Amino acid sequence: MMDLKYTEILNENRRLGKQLTSNPPYKISVLSNIVVNQISDVIEYKLRSHNINAIVNLGDYDNIVQDSEKFSQSDAVIVFWELSNLVDGLFYKSHQYDVAQCNALIEKITGEISFVFKNLATTSVVLINKFSSLVFNSSNIRDNMFDTICKQLNAYITDNLPSNFTIIKIDKIIANLSIGSSVDLRYFYSSKALYSIEFFKAYSTFVSPVMLSILGKSKKALIFDCDNTLWKGIVGEDGVDGIELSSGNKNGIYFEEIHNLSQELAKQGIIIGLCSKNNSEDVEEVFAKRTDFSMKREGISIVKVNWNDKANNLREIASELNIGLDSLVFLDDSDFEVNFVSETLPEVSVVRVPDKLYEYPKVFRSQMPLFYNHSRSVEDLSRVSMYKEANERKLVQATFSNLEDYLYSLELKLDIQLNEKTLLPRIAQLTQKTNQFNLTTKRYTETEIDGMLNDGSTKIFSFSLEDKFGGYGTTGLSIVKVKNEKAEIDTFLMSCRVIGREVEIAFLDTIINNLAASGIEQLTARYVKTLKNGQVAEFYELSGFSTVEETENTKLYKLNIGDYKAKEINHISINFE
Amino acid sequence: MDEKIKSVMATVFGMDVSEINENSSPDVIEEWDSLNHMNLIVALEEEFGVEFSEDQIASMLNYKLIKLTLEEL
Repeated sequence: MMDLKYTEILNENRRLGKQLTSNPPYKISVLSNIVVNQISDVIEYKLRSHNINAIVNLGDYDNIVQDSEKFSQSDAVIVFWELSNLVDGLFYKSHQYDVAQCNALIEKITGEISFVFKNLATTSVVLINKFSSLVFNSSNIRDNMFDTICKQLNAYITDNLPSNFTIIKIDKIIANLSIGSSVDLRYFYSSKALYSIEFFKAYSTFVSPVMLSILGKSKKALIFDCDNTLWKGIVGEDGVDGIELSSGNKNGIYFEEIHNLSQELAKQGIIIGLCSKNNSEDVEEVFAKRTDFSMKREGISIVKVNWNDKANNLREIASELNIGLDSLVFLDDSDFEVNFVSETLPEVSVVRVPDKLYEYPKVFRSQMPLFYNHSRSVEDLSRVSMYKEANERKLVQATFSNLEDYLYSLELKLDIQLNEKTLLPRIAQLTQKTNQFNLTTKRYTETEIDGMLNDGSTKIFSFSLEDKFGGYGTTGLSIVKVKNEKAEIDTFLMSCRVIGREVEIAFLDTIINNLAASGIEQLTARYVKTLKNGQVAEFYELSGFSTVEETENTKLYKLNIGDYKAKEINHISINFE
Repeated sequence: MDEKIKSVMATVFGMDVSEINENSSPDVIEEWDSLNHMNLIVALEEEFGVEFSEDQIASMLNYKLIKLTLEEL
């Protein structure tokens, strides 16, 4: 089903979305430290094609910790944590790390992971990607620091995993596709987007059994045709002893593997059945006489061996088992039967036995996730719960208990500059590129900014931010126009790379302080609505400004500077000369 | 080719094909932000079976330039 192109997925997803509006929404939040925007439509489509009204919500860029508080009420959360971007450029910078730097990073990230574990402890289901160094390190023989960090973080996740979390081993997805097809390095260096659309299609296919199982959409019964599906040959012609069904016969080995794989499914509670055009006595004789047949008659719960059409037989099977037709997977070697059943009963998943028999086990394995039972795997986890409980207790002590503590642990340093001429190109660029955290979205050229820097009545504040692992560069600014004792905030913006850290509050505090010191009494400000800046619509209200005028797209505010109460963000140390 | 380009653009930006014309660019289509530009490139590459260079991607910022780039390939 994921053979669809991206545009086809977008169109189908919109169509299904409209069709399913009356179904209860299934809300999935995706938290990530890289750009994964294409994942939304692909996952939605994958689940909507199973009649689930999936609605995917993407968290803010690089805000996994903060968003884990915000989105804990979702029906499902996917934590898409990317190793290479834990710190900007980690995949090459880590090679220079000494042991102390490596440990400091691991301590920081495990602290974040344990906080995320705690915040999402009551979410119904959480998928978390296993960290992978594969994309960057597939050719080195010896592990390097990047591999070591990867291993240690994965060990921490495995040892401390809460029972509602499931680890997604993305190495498997990458291996299936090849590294080359999984990533698109053009967007990685320019836009912090690592994975390709092919990867997101494969990822969605890989994880969807979890959601399908939770929503009761897993397959429940596996129904086999007999001749050339359960064994090689035609029992009515080749005879009971002539068919090949075990490793003792030339072509039997593939079938023996199929028998054992279906036994594996039977152990998990999947019903095994037969639906075949054959003489019933012949088939019974195979079970009775062929002692090398690793599938046993008592393991088969339902049998329709007759000369009726297979669609009818499958309908009867579903009704006798009291399950829906959409719970059946049917295997057959004949194109005629496969097409007939697919067209008559589109709800049934029909699998054609491949002509190349050596591919049969592979095809079979690729269908096994359809039967995935999520609650069972949660039960299995309880086996190891004894030693895990001890670990979790330790975990609670080690972690910070709230977001405030977390932000403290980052050791944020905010450097604020006023009218800094060397930043001119960056200032112009920020006004041109910033869409989301931007109160007025005014675009300025370098020439215009240069003019303001020299007009004597404009103050351009800018900031660069740093935490204990490195800098984010110049990522925010504000342009203030001053006239006598009055001033107006013309522009206030911040790159989305640094949101979620309360930097904007510390920045505004500093600006207002500076204006007060230069004798300004009245400050006005504006919010101009665009399609992209909804998240800052209430920024000035929350900062204590009062609304003077409000139209459909613009809000005008004022503030008596003497009344301003600085928020004094304690977790950020501010440097402003 | 014109219709195919327009249809891809309409799909990515969630618009009707009739709303896409010669003057379509990020200035007139609010949905055409940097993320959607990336989505548009991915969609065009799949649709036309091509791969654009970084420079081409950066320059394909209106309907005409997209068409021109595809014709040159």
